Amino acid sequence: MIELDGVSKTFDGTILALQDVSFSVATGSVCALLGHNGAGKTTAINILSTLMRPSYGRAFVAGYDVVQEPAKVRESIAVTGQVAAIDWQLTGRENLVMFSRLHGMRRKDANDRAEALIQQFDLADAADRGMVTYSGGMRRRIDIAAALVVPPKVLFLDEPTTGLDPLSRRGVWDLVSSLAADGVTVLLTTQYLEEADVLSDSIVVMDHGRVVANGTSNDLKRRIGISYCTVSPVNPADLPKILAAVADFEDAQADEVANTVSVLAPNGVATLSEVFRRVDRLDVELEDISLRKPSLDEVFLHLTGSVTP
Amino acid sequence: MNSVAVLTERMVRNTLRNDLPFAVLAPAGNFVIFNLALRNVIDTGGIGYPQYLLPVIIVQVTLIGALTTVDRAARDHQSELGIRLRTLPISLLAPLTARMLYCLIRGIIALLATIAAGYAFGFRMLGGFGHLIAFILLVLTLTLALSLAADATGVRVSSASIGMTGGSSQILLVPQMILVMLSTGMAPVESFPEWLHGFVRYQPVSQVTDTLRGLAVGNVAVGSLASSLAWCLGLLVLFGAVAVRMQRRTQ
Repeated sequence: MIELDGVSKTFDGTILALQDVSFSVATGSVCALLGHNGAGKTTAINILSTLMRPSYGRAFVAGYDVVQEPAKVRESIAVTGQVAAIDWQLTGRENLVMFSRLHGMRRKDANDRAEALIQQFDLADAADRGMVTYSGGMRRRIDIAAALVVPPKVLFLDEPTTGLDPLSRRGVWDLVSSLAADGVTVLLTTQYLEEADVLSDSIVVMDHGRVVANGTSNDLKRRIGISYCTVSPVNPADLPKILAAVADFEDAQADEVANTVSVLAPNGVATLSEVFRRVDRLDVELEDISLRKPSLDEVFLHLTGSVTP
Repeated sequence: MNSVAVLTERMVRNTLRNDLPFAVLAPAGNFVIFNLALRNVIDTGGIGYPQYLLPVIIVQVTLIGALTTVDRAARDHQSELGIRLRTLPISLLAPLTARMLYCLIRGIIALLATIAAGYAFGFRMLGGFGHLIAFILLVLTLTLALSLAADATGVRVSSASIGMTGGSSQILLVPQMILVMLSTGMAPVESFPEWLHGFVRYQPVSQVTDTLRGLAVGNVAVGSLASSLAWCLGLLVLFGAVAVRMQRRTQ
């Protein structure tokens, strides 16, 4: 349903935003583009939604070439960006009617469609108020509703949960899952590993405009270890001692700001108890010792060898 | 074309509310001020000053109106909504077309306001119905040509650097002032120093105001009409091509 084949994008002939990017997304599945700011996620979305042309390579959406048949692509897609793309001077309902009519509906059909979306997105109380009074979560809902006035084959969501509170984030996740269940192919970008993990069938990790990993959430986890074991001493001066004791573990590193030493824990609790045994011998007072999911930084550390993009 | 109607309706509903006082009061205000200040200073021969002055006020109002288009086009093009419109299954030219229809609607309102103010001070449409229609069409052609130029400028500025949009229309005020002040719209060519006569006589504002003055009294020279039409249609085609190209250009 979505396919990129060696896509590169340069700005002003020098800045390389995308470098030989290739991946594909199957019909009705959810794919997450995971990466830091500036990794090239938005550029990829812009190319797939016909806002930009690739400098090299080819890209297809719903079977249409984004450069050769952009009008056909636009008939198949819907896009929401990082900021709500609505008319701030209209009410929520007026926005939905406007987008419905832009999709060619007659006024009456547009009114009916707007009402249906208002019910579906639980916006009945706010629908006739100005958009400026909406909370972040409501703006996101109306923005996504506006993208769905005509159900698309492919939906692009650029950081759909950035800036949302946990409850609203959960709401967006539920929505994405139900859309995928209805057969919509979803490509979303995110900076949160957890989000990619929960939502997507496949994850494409990007860094510096390149694809550094591509696979299911489980594939990636296997590649970067299930979790990390983290040790915090009461006295930060003990960090080097602890690091020396566990230095032979993979990815062992001390973080002085967070006052932790962490190591990759491929064997979970077994690794934890081995770390505990060694640290226990050191006669160091501990604040905390725990297993936790790898952070995105650790994914990057593992996949690219650099934490900062 | 449904999309053009929807987008135009949106602009008329949203923008006109804020735009209307300016569109109505600016022309009337300009007319009253220039008329009061200059009617006893400038010798226009056999023709009363309100009758002489009104066409250049219309041209000036058209120019200033076009300046507001610069910022509107820049905002429209670069806004999240403007970007989303470029991913919808509508013509890439629909937003531009809607903005231009809005400019024409705004232009008609400003034109009516100016003529109304003129009538209060003694300006009269003395020609027949045909002259009136020609008068209106010439003004609207000019409005469209200048609005297209302003739109292309706004889109260009918004793509180049967003921070500059506020200043762009300010810079464009200067050529606008020069063209209006150094034209035969304010005063006959004899009132200017001799070395300026060539510019003053043949620049487009002089040509167009001369034709409009003729159409208002029902007596227009064919040469004058041809010259004004050539300017307006020439600018329309030129700026139209540029504005359409700005819309089509994807990065």
